[in-house]
Amino acid sequence: MEKSEKRNPFSRMMAIRGMGQVVTVTIGLIVLCIVFGILNPSFFSGKNVGNLLRQIAPTLITGIGQSFVLITGNIDLSIGSVVGMSCMLSATMMTKGINPWAAVLITLACCLLVGIINGELVARCKLPPFIATLGTMTIARGIAQIANNNYNTDSIGEAAEGFRNFFYYGKILGLYNTIWIAVVIWLIFNFLLSRTRTGRHIYAIGSNLEASKLSGVNIVRTTTKAYLVSAFCACVVGLIICATSGMGTMDAGNSYEMYAVAASVIGGVSTLGGQGILLGTVIGASIWGVLQNGLQFAGAPVAIRNIVIGIIVVVSVLMDVVLRGGKPRHRKEKGEAAKAEPK
Amino acid sequence: MELSHINKTFPGVKALDDVSFDLRSGEVMALLGENGAGKSTLMKVLSGVYTRDSGSMKIFGQEVGDLTPRKAQELGVAIIHQELNMCAHLSVAENIFLGREKTKGVLLSSREMNREARAVLDRLNINIDPETVVGDLAVSKQQMVEIAKALSTNARILIMDEPTSALTSKEIDDLFVIIHKLRDEGCGIVYISHRLEELQHVVDRVTIMRDGKFITSGNFADFTMDEIISNMVGREIKEKFPRVQCEVGRTILQVKHLNAGRMVRDINFELREGEIVGVAGLMGAGRTETTRALFGVDQKDSGEVVLDGKPVVIRRPEDAIRAGIVLAPEDRKKDGLCTKLSIRENIALPNLDILCSKLGVVDRKKEREMAAKAQKDLSIKMPSAEVDAGSLSGGNQQKVVVAKWLARNSRVVVFDEPTRGIDVAAKVEIYNLMNELKKAGIGVLFVSSEMPEVMGISDRIIVMCDGRITGELDPHKTTQNEILEYATRFESKIAKPQLA
Repeated sequence: MEKSEKRNPFSRMMAIRGMGQVVTVTIGLIVLCIVFGILNPSFFSGKNVGNLLRQIAPTLITGIGQSFVLITGNIDLSIGSVVGMSCMLSATMMTKGINPWAAVLITLACCLLVGIINGELVARCKLPPFIATLGTMTIARGIAQIANNNYNTDSIGEAAEGFRNFFYYGKILGLYNTIWIAVVIWLIFNFLLSRTRTGRHIYAIGSNLEASKLSGVNIVRTTTKAYLVSAFCACVVGLIICATSGMGTMDAGNSYEMYAVAASVIGGVSTLGGQGILLGTVIGASIWGVLQNGLQFAGAPVAIRNIVIGIIVVVSVLMDVVLRGGKPRHRKEKGEAAKAEPK
Repeated sequence: MELSHINKTFPGVKALDDVSFDLRSGEVMALLGENGAGKSTLMKVLSGVYTRDSGSMKIFGQEVGDLTPRKAQELGVAIIHQELNMCAHLSVAENIFLGREKTKGVLLSSREMNREARAVLDRLNINIDPETVVGDLAVSKQQMVEIAKALSTNARILIMDEPTSALTSKEIDDLFVIIHKLRDEGCGIVYISHRLEELQHVVDRVTIMRDGKFITSGNFADFTMDEIISNMVGREIKEKFPRVQCEVGRTILQVKHLNAGRMVRDINFELREGEIVGVAGLMGAGRTETTRALFGVDQKDSGEVVLDGKPVVIRRPEDAIRAGIVLAPEDRKKDGLCTKLSIRENIALPNLDILCSKLGVVDRKKEREMAAKAQKDLSIKMPSAEVDAGSLSGGNQQKVVVAKWLARNSRVVVFDEPTRGIDVAAKVEIYNLMNELKKAGIGVLFVSSEMPEVMGISDRIIVMCDGRITGELDPHKTTQNEILEYATRFESKIAKPQLA
């Protein structure tokens, strides 16, 4: 115990659970940046870096939400649709002349409702999270379509100028607001996850649901909180997209839930729960963004980009498994069971 | 089979230090030692899970090189783990032939597999239909299936790791019959167990290990129980069951007419200051279910819980914890620990209400202090409080489970099978801990299937059978037979239930 007090800040940081994987993928990220920098020196130009960060922000924000849910041992497939729903609801209300900030609040309430429904279905009704959120995913997309009678909306107009600046075009200290929003959200939720009781409960139920229940953790409430974080993040991304394009598009956020899974998993969050830190999600989302941006910059067509990114997702997790001596980082019991089975 | 001068080093630990071990066909060899003595590591070397660093290994007189689990299997080595490894959704026959399915072309030939499975089961006199789904079988039957599976691979060397830890006395007897049968057929059996009292029924020779070293080996009959224990522990254990006399004080807990499904029916009991109440009974008597209903894990149908004279409503574990009733559950891997979280986090988990500020921010300093105090109080052997709880040995894991609940001031502590699968020295430490609680005026409810310890530690014994309390006994006056008699009082057999 005394030892850990005396250790320097670096080794104390390295002692944080899951930091190992984060360091590995950070090295990967740096290598990627260098490669793209060599391929195209203007990759590091101020303008491109600004763009890159703006590209990363939505993936990071949804990734944070997905990480929360993954750490509880569940999954949230509804993220992409909630993004679309958020975008369409806010845009529709704004085109109908409702005050943009009131529209934002109403949208937020609707999105959080989806989070609550997800949490209740998964934790209280004990539906498999894959099925429950598949349902809410479809419903939320339906709401996005119905919001403006199956049409994308018109421009949200002059009245929403403040809204658009807040979420996208405004700049603080030379960086776009979108980036700051991502940073603030990360700071808040990272604190929530690593330092508070709720955060600890989220790790605990992902690691062992039954033991957590017997330790007095309220499973339903904790699970719902994780889904609420996820829905909140998706809502913010929807608003950012709305502010960016200045209109509502029905298929906004399509497959964002999967990008969010990718960002989380590349960053070391276990899909079986109980493991991962949000710093990893930042790196995961960055790798994602750098690949998109760098490949685009290098002139690779979309199809090639998809293939490369898919490979990176698998390889990054595989690398982690190999580096840990061939032992899957998931449940120990499972690993042992597999070993014991005669093959 | 002969293993000599085996060495195995893990990073930072010398797990096996020049260990030698031999087994002849047609004998049962007990491999004894405390938790972490290296028994399991040795057996994993033998079954090919680990490769040895040095030393030689002969099986049936033949020198063997590095083993893989598969090669070991081909050589006739089979291991039955403490935790059963079965696919719960598949049938008995499917499990027995898992990985070695019989096929006709590409099709599975279920009929043949069922027939052969039945042949193996019949050979062992086990009455199980090979088409039953394994998840529907009792744990003891599942274990029999594991044995059958091992035999169906024509195993000649059978390693059993704590085979009786989940079985009742009756089932253990059945198991021993099977072990004897196998021995007479010429199999060599390595038998690992912490329950020393059962060895005399089954074992021919013993090998004792301590701290990764070979200590001694010889015919079982040449050892006294005390010699075995002192060889295992490396020192004399004075009292196997230390008992502390306390003044019995006020009633702390009253449970009235507790009902919860079929396994908890009209349970009434009292717990007083300064006493440990033992709950005895056979496997499936409803003891665990009763503790779970009391603690609010499972839904209660009816019943009243009175704590210190005040009725308390317990709907969820949170309510029980807040009221001051805590439960150290039975299955530490399943219910007790988050194995992927650190020891510190595990100990803090139920106590976050104490450790958090009003806003719910965890006070890390307090948290570390709590873990350090627990380590000291319970002498938990661990490299640091930051390692995964799952990396500890069984006895130390159990101590962490207990530590979780002792870190807060409770009125009633329920221990469900706290000594299962841990070694003699760790058991005594757990007993001493219960005695400390008793002295501090905390009510202790102690559920256990091991009759000697219930009789040795409790001040009063409640016996359960089939979801009901069938008797209350004084441990000073009762006998194992009497407890067993109450524990088997099934309803159909008695016209009028007599409550002592």
